[in-house]
Amino acid sequence: MLTRISSVDNLKVKQVAFDSIIQLGDSCILNGFSRAIAVQREAEIFFGDEGNFPSYRIFKKPLPLPPITESITFLRRNINPIIKVNNIDVTAVSSSSILHVGNSRNVSMEARIKHIRQLLLEGHEQDIR
Amino acid sequence: MNFEVYNRVLHVDNIKILAVASSSLFMVGDTETIQLTSAFDTPPESLIIGPFVPLERDVTPGYADPNL
Repeated sequence: MLTRISSVDNLKVKQVAFDSIIQLGDSCILNGFSRAIAVQREAEIFFGDEGNFPSYRIFKKPLPLPPITESITFLRRNINPIIKVNNIDVTAVSSSSILHVGNSRNVSMEARIKHIRQLLLEGHEQDIR
Repeated sequence: MNFEVYNRVLHVDNIKILAVASSSLFMVGDTETIQLTSAFDTPPESLIIGPFVPLERDVTPGYADPNL
């Protein structure tokens, strides 16, 4: 038996957002990438055209992946060729995440997040700007 | 190296997940390779106390253009 079959009876997902994927069935290459600038401000103020990814180091620095060059002989004996799940309940899938039912070959996922908090000076909490 | 795996019965009744986020993967199945990387940055200098100064403007062509 070469591969196993994934069998899910019931799959319930409430929300899929920001380039996420629900993949039912086999795939070969999965490549996910997400980057975010998360800004929290003490007052409700939002400038629509902010946030330039290249100005932050975290979005530029390379995250090296170790090359897959391991020389191993991998032997799988699928005595029971079924992966059975009765029930899956997911509230949300977000930011280039993948919910996958089935087999795949090469998966690589990357996430980069920059978190910025802006607070008002003490005694100036009533000011908006 | 020789790696031998015997896949016998795999039967799960219930999976309950609140969220799969930030390039995460939830998978029911087999795969050959998985490579995950993630960077999260919230250094001290990212805490800005003072008047709200907008962040640098997004200069990516076609992005965040207020005239669009």
